[in-house]
Amino acid sequence: MTARLARWSLLLLTILLLAIWIPQAKELLFDDRFGKTQLFYSPVIERFVYKELIGEGHQFVYRDQDGTDYDRESFETLIPFIYYKNMELWGRLPLVLGEHRFDKAAIVAERQVMEFKPQDLSDQTPRIQLFPLLESNPERARLRFPEDIMRPGERLDFIDSDANRLDPELTRTFTQALEQAGFRFPVRAAFGRVSILKAFDAGYFLLDSGGALFHLRRLDGAPEVAAVPIPEGIAVRDIKVTENKRHELIGFLLAEDGRLFLMTERDHDLIALDLPGYDPDRMELKILFNPLYRTAVYSDRETIHAVVMDRDYHPIDRYARRMAMARERPVDRVWEMLVPFNLNLHDPDSRYLSLDVRFHGLAAAIGVAASLLLALEILRLRGIRPTRARMDLLLVLFTGLYGLLALILIPPEHGLET
Amino acid sequence: MLGAIILKEWLKIRWVWGAALLVHLGMLVYLLLAMRHQFQVEHSEMIWYWAFELRRLLYTQIQYLPALTGAVIAAAQFGPEMLGGRFRLSLHLPVRGDLLVWCWVGFGALMGGLLALLDGAGLYWIISIWFPREAAESALLTALPWLLGGWVAYFGATLALLEPSRARRPVYAGLTLAFLALLDQGHGYQEYDRIMPQLTGLALLLLPAVILPAHRYRHRG
Repeated sequence: MTARLARWSLLLLTILLLAIWIPQAKELLFDDRFGKTQLFYSPVIERFVYKELIGEGHQFVYRDQDGTDYDRESFETLIPFIYYKNMELWGRLPLVLGEHRFDKAAIVAERQVMEFKPQDLSDQTPRIQLFPLLESNPERARLRFPEDIMRPGERLDFIDSDANRLDPELTRTFTQALEQAGFRFPVRAAFGRVSILKAFDAGYFLLDSGGALFHLRRLDGAPEVAAVPIPEGIAVRDIKVTENKRHELIGFLLAEDGRLFLMTERDHDLIALDLPGYDPDRMELKILFNPLYRTAVYSDRETIHAVVMDRDYHPIDRYARRMAMARERPVDRVWEMLVPFNLNLHDPDSRYLSLDVRFHGLAAAIGVAASLLLALEILRLRGIRPTRARMDLLLVLFTGLYGLLALILIPPEHGLET
Repeated sequence: MLGAIILKEWLKIRWVWGAALLVHLGMLVYLLLAMRHQFQVEHSEMIWYWAFELRRLLYTQIQYLPALTGAVIAAAQFGPEMLGGRFRLSLHLPVRGDLLVWCWVGFGALMGGLLALLDGAGLYWIISIWFPREAAESALLTALPWLLGGWVAYFGATLALLEPSRARRPVYAGLTLAFLALLDQGHGYQEYDRIMPQLTGLALLLLPAVILPAHRYRHRG
């Protein structure tokens, strides 16, 4: 009995390892380098345009939403705010678009890109909950890391990094400042951008135990706390802080119900973004700013969407297309017929490793049937009647090729049949 | 009988285990000195930035130590047994064969586990000298798959060593390597947090599995 249990443990282990590694080996052999489609809104023709790799090598297409193809240079002239340096080189500046005229300085002053990826979400990335609270008024050219770190918790601890010891004075000062501003401990979440390579430091947004939001900065060594008014009905899920020298926006605010907002830097007002089909857990989002428009471009691994907005974030036009990278390849079709499922270790939207099962549905029936026939042949060669190896056959029925390979590696033996 | 079995296993591995203990202690001392050196030549706040924000692991010196130790303990325990048919003699003791094998591997796993415990405790202590407790806890969670690698390597090596068929030994070695590779996919801290229960469950399958080669050895033609 224990020998039978031993064999089944090994079979199970083998199948699970095969279901993880064989799909990875297939990707290694057949993965292509199709990146995501690059989608823009052309202020010249007022249509969406895109650049896409459609085949091996450098088979790029430069196309607009109506299917008109362009050569590379013509394409770049359609999005002159993106390629403004080329425009300058080609003598096309200042740019004249309708009644508007833009020189290089005007373009540079209005350019900005904001990004929000699934991996930016707090629950998609492991993070040690210790954050350096930079001096927001460094009175020098560059920001620098402080010699202490902030620990949000039952109070706002500060730990001296040289001594690795709590700084009671700093802890008391900042905790009291937060309490005086109406903050209710413990800190539920802290959101900020940990970097000294940014235009300036905006500090942190802290969520209190009641879900209220506060803005904390260290200004001349002292705490500066401000309550951030959040409109009724919005529960904060995440905030991505993106300091930018344009000083218009301070970042994204994602609500628990999936709505996404931009937060203004000065008053922390929220600007709702109307992005149909946007899923923050699966989609990468970029907002491209130029002197005329704001274009939100968001995509998973199949479809790319774009919404072009005016300067007040009112949608003007939308577009979506299935990307070339989502085209089903013959190797994928064959694979889905060959094995009934994959066990995916890497989730591209998360830093956490996972063991997600992806079933291939009825298409796998062909592979399962073939595996069963081969399993019967293996039993015949080993002189084991199928009726004495029913469980082995059942295993192949449910796991297809993986079960067959496991059966070959850990074959049934006389006395250990099932 | 149990006492005699355990004594025999201890006699088989005592030198190797003693050497492994020294190596583990040596690596922990090395980690301690390396960390101390790091904090002497760099500003503490920068090292904290690397560790927390850039996710640089500052304690990879011990990453493969548990797996290596697991394989070495298995080799010390079962390598000599497989020479000259001594294993067949052991299986003729008046104890059920499966219980006997589990006694052996239970003892080997326990001795490997003690070293893993030492690694875990040493890592936590060393990290907590220079970092807040959150970092020490994170280091321990990050090292869990490495420590589990010790279990996998021990049982995988045991499977391969006890297996009487030459053709099947590479199969067990391959499975063990595939499992160990699964535990070596992280790039930053705590990336395994969400799948450690499943991986532990998977590793526990090796415990009943070691009976198979012993059974095959006993009943070989």
